[in-house]
Amino acid sequence: MTNTILPSLNVPGRGRLACVGLGMTLGSHLTPLARSHIVQADVVFAALSDAIAEEWLKRMHPDVRSLQPYYAEGKPRIKTYREWVALMMAELRTGKRVCGVFYGHPGIFAWSPHKVIEQAHAEGYEAHMEPGISAEDSLYADLGFDPGRYGCQHFEASQLLYCERRIDPAGYLVLWQVGVIGNRSVGRFDAGLAYRALLVERLGQDYPLEHEVIIYRGATLPIERPRIQRITLRELAEVPLTAEETVVLPPAVTLQPNRAMLERLQTLDAREKEGAAA
Amino acid sequence: MTDTIELLEAIGSDASLRYASADILNGVLEQTHASAELMTAVAAGNGASLRVELGIQQVPQTPQSPTQLPGQEPDEEEEEEAPQSERCHSDHPSSLSFQ
Ligand SMILES: C[S@@+](CC[C@H](N)C(=O)[O-])C[C@H]1O[C@@H](n2cnc3c(N)ncnc32)[C@H](O)[C@@H]1O
Repeated sequence: MTNTILPSLNVPGRGRLACVGLGMTLGSHLTPLARSHIVQADVVFAALSDAIAEEWLKRMHPDVRSLQPYYAEGKPRIKTYREWVALMMAELRTGKRVCGVFYGHPGIFAWSPHKVIEQAHAEGYEAHMEPGISAEDSLYADLGFDPGRYGCQHFEASQLLYCERRIDPAGYLVLWQVGVIGNRSVGRFDAGLAYRALLVERLGQDYPLEHEVIIYRGATLPIERPRIQRITLRELAEVPLTAEETVVLPPAVTLQPNRAMLERLQTLDAREKEGAAA
Repeated sequence: MTDTIELLEAIGSDASLRYASADILNGVLEQTHASAELMTAVAAGNGASLRVELGIQQVPQTPQSPTQLPGQEPDEEEEEEAPQSERCHSDHPSSLSFQ
């Protein structure tokens, strides 16, 4: 839907940046504001996971530049992402309105949108991020759980290997990028399965190996259904995984009352009652 | 033939079509002269046939985010591989895989 009752403002000559999310599902999730950023931009850069979605984006703007070709075999991904930032900044510095379009939410498990906005601000440009519907949002809807019920931790999978992190098995655990763990550049020798075995070992410190693990892929095309596969933690070590899947571990233990805090709360409440009675 | 991308957008933004069964949706698409590839995609529940129709050869890389390692800004470092031991006390870029 486009605004038809007010004229759009256009301040010429001053570069402006927006990083917007396209959402997960073609046709379903793009917000009116994100669409407007796309339509009003002078140049649009696209980092999407689906070439069909890129075709859709091209219908909205005549100058859509795919960021996909900057990936190369053996090239570290971070190098590619820095190039993306440099490309967007270069257009911004010429005074253009630049829009970076990312699938899902541009700020969730995404480095370059945050980076380019930070850099644009540092150089005095107006720059915004517009939220989009992410894989996270889709998974709450499709798997039918509320992160507020037991709490929910999100980790990039390899961080659980590199860093000491405390997992709380009383809440949900969502692991991103399990399918690309141990694989830092495109086409590089894939240490994935060996890393994955270590990930399962790490998770085994907090969960029984028979614990349920959900492999989730949300629909990216509106003719698809979400894919929800339930396996055991043990099986996670070997199951084929794509780069488009997110792994969810439901709670393994029940919430335990915090007795010390409950006693203190009782004392507080009792004092309040006494005060009210006096 | 009606444009496939336009049809996908229409399906994606219509509450009655988005969750319609493949048979019912294909019944609707038939009347709009949708491409055979789109109807195959609907029946299969995935976009493989559309990639052929739209001439998309390569499955794109799903952009990934860099693995965040605490303690160091990813962009301060060179792109080479970090020793394993440094991957945690640093946001070492070699471990970055977020888009
Ligand atoms: C770099 S992150 C980007 C996430 C994206 N910015 C978002 O808002 O969803 C890539 C990770 O997102 C998750 N992901 C991507 N596409 C997905 C899909 N269709 N369904 C479920 N998870 C997905 C996977 O965990 C994948 O490793």
